[in-house]
Amino acid sequence: MEQTRPPMSQRINRGLTYLVALAIALWILIPIYLIALAAFSPRQLVYSWPKPLLPTSISIETMRFFLTSYGVLASVRNSVVVAVITLFLSLLIGAPAGYALARYVFRGHHAFQLLILSTRAFPIVILSIPMAVTFINWGLYDTVLSVALVHTAMALPTTVLVTSSVFIGIPKELEEAAMTLGCNRLQAVLRVVLPLALPGLAAAAIFTFVLSWNEVFAAAILTLQNRTLPAKMVVQLNESPIPFRFAGGFFLLVPSLLFIFAIRKYLFNLWGVKLK
Amino acid sequence: MRRYILLSVAAVLALLVLAACATPTPQVIRETVVVTKEVEKVVTKEVEKVVKETVVVTKEVEKVVEKVVTPTPVDYGKVLILSTQAKPVEEAEKMRGIVLRDFPGQAEFIPEDEGVLIDRVLAEKQAGKGSVDVLIALHGTYPVLLKEDALSDVSALMERLSDRGIPEAFVELGKLGTDTQYYIPVMQATYIFAANKQALEYLPEGADINALTWDELLQWAKNIYEATGQRKLGFPAGEKGLMHRFLEGYIYPSFTGGMVTNFRSDDAVAMWEFFQELWQYVNPQSVTYEFMQEPLLAEEVWVAFDHTARLINAFKERPDDFVAFPAPAGPKGRGFMPVIVGAAIPTTAPNRAGAEALIEYLTAPETQIAILREIGFFPVTNVDFPGYVSVGIRLEGEAVTKQAAAPDALPALLPVGLGARGGEFNKIYRDTFTRIVLNGEDIRTVLDEEAALLQEILDDTGAPCWPPDPPSDGPCQVK
Repeated sequence: MEQTRPPMSQRINRGLTYLVALAIALWILIPIYLIALAAFSPRQLVYSWPKPLLPTSISIETMRFFLTSYGVLASVRNSVVVAVITLFLSLLIGAPAGYALARYVFRGHHAFQLLILSTRAFPIVILSIPMAVTFINWGLYDTVLSVALVHTAMALPTTVLVTSSVFIGIPKELEEAAMTLGCNRLQAVLRVVLPLALPGLAAAAIFTFVLSWNEVFAAAILTLQNRTLPAKMVVQLNESPIPFRFAGGFFLLVPSLLFIFAIRKYLFNLWGVKLK
Repeated sequence: MRRYILLSVAAVLALLVLAACATPTPQVIRETVVVTKEVEKVVTKEVEKVVKETVVVTKEVEKVVEKVVTPTPVDYGKVLILSTQAKPVEEAEKMRGIVLRDFPGQAEFIPEDEGVLIDRVLAEKQAGKGSVDVLIALHGTYPVLLKEDALSDVSALMERLSDRGIPEAFVELGKLGTDTQYYIPVMQATYIFAANKQALEYLPEGADINALTWDELLQWAKNIYEATGQRKLGFPAGEKGLMHRFLEGYIYPSFTGGMVTNFRSDDAVAMWEFFQELWQYVNPQSVTYEFMQEPLLAEEVWVAFDHTARLINAFKERPDDFVAFPAPAGPKGRGFMPVIVGAAIPTTAPNRAGAEALIEYLTAPETQIAILREIGFFPVTNVDFPGYVSVGIRLEGEAVTKQAAAPDALPALLPVGLGARGGEFNKIYRDTFTRIVLNGEDIRTVLDEEAALLQEILDDTGAPCWPPDPPSDGPCQVK
């Protein structure tokens, strides 16, 4: 049975689309591939020139030294703990704020929104010494909680704005319908709005997680023995030989890749929820 | 339709794979041939080496046994060390696992960037509650901390360590221009040259690699260029490279006899003319280099200048392929820059006794040797140059000793008394280099303009001249 062929121009268009998609994918995948290759090559090979593009000899020596070196695994654990606390706190505080911004019209609504964003304009470098002094006085210095608190403060503006756009996307009528059927406002939010908003909230959570995972400065100034991974890396890898930089780079890359891979379908909901 | 798309995607992929594979293949084959040749060479050489090294190992074993016999005294508890030195992963590991292993107490070694270290110590000072016991940093880090009263007096400790044989000039530096001792010198480093052995055949006739002159270096680089068509001399002129130390401590003193006072003298003009000429044979990638061990190992350059700690991997990974040698000499001598690392105790240190014990431990001869062997910093105390350090470090160590002991040696200290403005001081030298050598601006004009900026910093800080410039009353003056 002969299929009807789409017109030539359409086929060329499709082909071009695939080519562009392929180019973009390679643009991102090639560096990742090269980092992985160097991280798992023997040290001599990393220095050699021209660099081999295929894995001719695999060695886990550099990677193993890196992983067993002092405190790397502990700092991975710290990083995860900080990210989880940050995620929890920022959603706990940020989601209700976002809901309020979306549902209630009050005086200074827009000014408030701007004000929230302006907290991002403070360079954290200026705050470093006062922040450290405060945390020392509170007895929170050199704990993962102090880092999580600062990360929460940094993540809140984005969380509030993203969740408010998520809540705006959910029709008010659904909530009202729930209330005519006997829910009070809290029940309506918990039983109707929240399930609908969940993918959007997850997207906001990704933002928070990635921010906390990548943040270096506050983590470096507030901790000494309980470092998060990036804070530990940035001090040490800066002046380490190239093979270690590749190993460290690869190691920093993998968790965020895995995380994004696991929640990729929510990523598409980042700017609002489709309800149709 | 789907089939067509799939086919075209597959075709593109196949093309890409082909393109990727097609070109490098012949190169790979050529490479293998070269490698086998080299392997043969290395093997024959190593046979001689191994004999020497076995002797070496037995010596080390004897040492360890001696140590076990001595009973461990008191436990000094936890001592938290914050250090701007030995930051790279491997070096930090060696500090923890080897150098600090025998300290009677738990030494926590934490590497830190200079800015964060300063912020943290100041924050602890303001809060009046500290966690850091010992600081290990370059001389230049301490004046900032002293200004905020964050350093404690270690004169009594220095008194106890007077039999260690730390040179008087280094002890004096630790007083930061006051009458009180604020830090104890614990290790030193310097900058030297390294060369790939392939470059040696192009050395100008009659030149002694351990007593080169700048003109001979120029001739050498020129010979290499004429023979290979490549610019094989390298400098760390990248953003985080230490090019400014080359200018301040090496070429300036060699040509003008000083670092500051003769900044715009006729000698300086001659020096810059020389440098312009030399630059024709310098690898243009130099403006991106930060650690010369990497271009040396990649053989992008054959001859390079850098800090001993930033060359050491080349010697460690391929000790048979590289030589270390002292900096060349100019009309006024062989300028070189010793770098002093000191240990201090912040006023807020929670474990003062432990901190003092740790510094005492760091200056002990065994620790000094361990530091040299593991992280490539050289002893500040009187220790016999040990025969049992690794080949790489011995290579560097010999060059360092030859450099310092050369009859025409002209030591140039790191800037003293500039406090937080040391960075601006360095920038003037780097800017002068960029304008004259890279941009080809008029030497006289540039020197006059930059000299004015230099004088401004000296006047603002009131810093008197430091070696190699002759001592001055009041702020150092650019002639």
